[in-house]
Amino acid sequence: MDDLHKALGDISSIRRQVARSTEFRGYGPATLAATGVFALAAAGVQTVWVQNPSLQLGRYLTLWIATAVLSATLTGVQMYTRSRRMHSSMSDEMIRMAVEQFLPAVGAGLLLTIVLTQATPAAAWMVPGLWQVIFSLGIFSSCRFLPRPIFAAGAWYLLTGLCCIGLGGGRSLSPWAMAIPFGAGQFLVAGILFFSAKESGDEV
Amino acid sequence: MKSKTPTNEGRFAYEGLDRVIHERARLSVLTSLITHPKGLTFNELKQLCSLTDGNLSRHLSVLEKDAMVEILKGHDRNRPQTVCRITAAGRKRYLEYLETLEQVVRDAAKGAEEAAALVRHLNPSRA
Repeated sequence: MDDLHKALGDISSIRRQVARSTEFRGYGPATLAATGVFALAAAGVQTVWVQNPSLQLGRYLTLWIATAVLSATLTGVQMYTRSRRMHSSMSDEMIRMAVEQFLPAVGAGLLLTIVLTQATPAAAWMVPGLWQVIFSLGIFSSCRFLPRPIFAAGAWYLLTGLCCIGLGGGRSLSPWAMAIPFGAGQFLVAGILFFSAKESGDEV
Repeated sequence: MKSKTPTNEGRFAYEGLDRVIHERARLSVLTSLITHPKGLTFNELKQLCSLTDGNLSRHLSVLEKDAMVEILKGHDRNRPQTVCRITAAGRKRYLEYLETLEQVVRDAAKGAEEAAALVRHLNPSRA
C-alpha cells in the first residue's frame, strides 16, 4: 500500500514540475479585454454618480471595488473553464499556481485600501495610484508563467501608478486616473495574450 | 457470452499506456526532457538517465521517429553539441500517459484497500 501511495506522490510531483515549467494559458484575451471595457464603463458611471470623489469616497470605492469584483469573477470563471480545455490533467495545478502568484497582490491592495481609508482618510487620494502599483507587482510575479511581453503590461501599471500618485490630491481620484491605466492596460494584456496564443497555435 | 457488468467493460484496458513511452529508458528520457523545456544536451541527458551513449542514441531515435523529441545539432565554444528537446506532441502524449499511469496506480491502491478491508472482515479478531 505504501508503495502505491508513494507512486501516486511521485506522479503528482512530476505533474507539479511539469506545471512549473509550463506557460499558463488560462487567461483568455477576450475576457481580459472585457475587463478593460468594464474599467471604461466604470469611469463613465463615476462622471455621473461620483461627481466629487474627494467628498464621496464611499461611493468612489464602492464603484471601483464592484468593478474589480466583477472583473475578477469573470476572469476566474473563464480561467477555470479555459484551463480545463488548455491544460487538461494539469489544470488544477496550473490554476493553483496562477492564483498563488496573484493573490498576495489582491490581499495587499485590499488591506491597503482599508488602512488608508479608515486610519488616514486624508491620504485616500493615493488609493488609485497604489492599486495600480500593486497590480503591477501581481503581474510581475506572474510573468514567469506568462508570455514574456507581459512584462510590458507590468511596467505600464507601475508607470501609471507612479504618475497617478505624482498627480497628487483630488486629481488622482478623477475617473480618467483609473479608466486610462486599467482600460489601456487590460487591452495591452489582452493583445499580448492574443498574439502569443496565435503564435503557439492555441485557441484565442 | 454477455458480460454481467457491461459498464465495467474495458475498465482496466489502459489504452493510454503508450508503448513507446512505457519502456523504462524512454520514460526516463521524456521525464527529464519535460521537466527541462529548454532542452538538455546529450551528455546531461545521458547522466540524468544513467544510460550509455549507444543506448541513449537508440532510444532518442525511436522518440524522434515518433516526433516526440527533436534533436538539434550545433556548436558550443567550437565544440559540436547535441541538444534534445521534447516537442509539443511529445509533451501531450507524455501527459496523457501520466494520467493513465496515475489511474493504474489509483485502481491498484483501491483494490489493495478493498482486499485489506475484506481480510479484516473475515478475521475480526486480528483487526
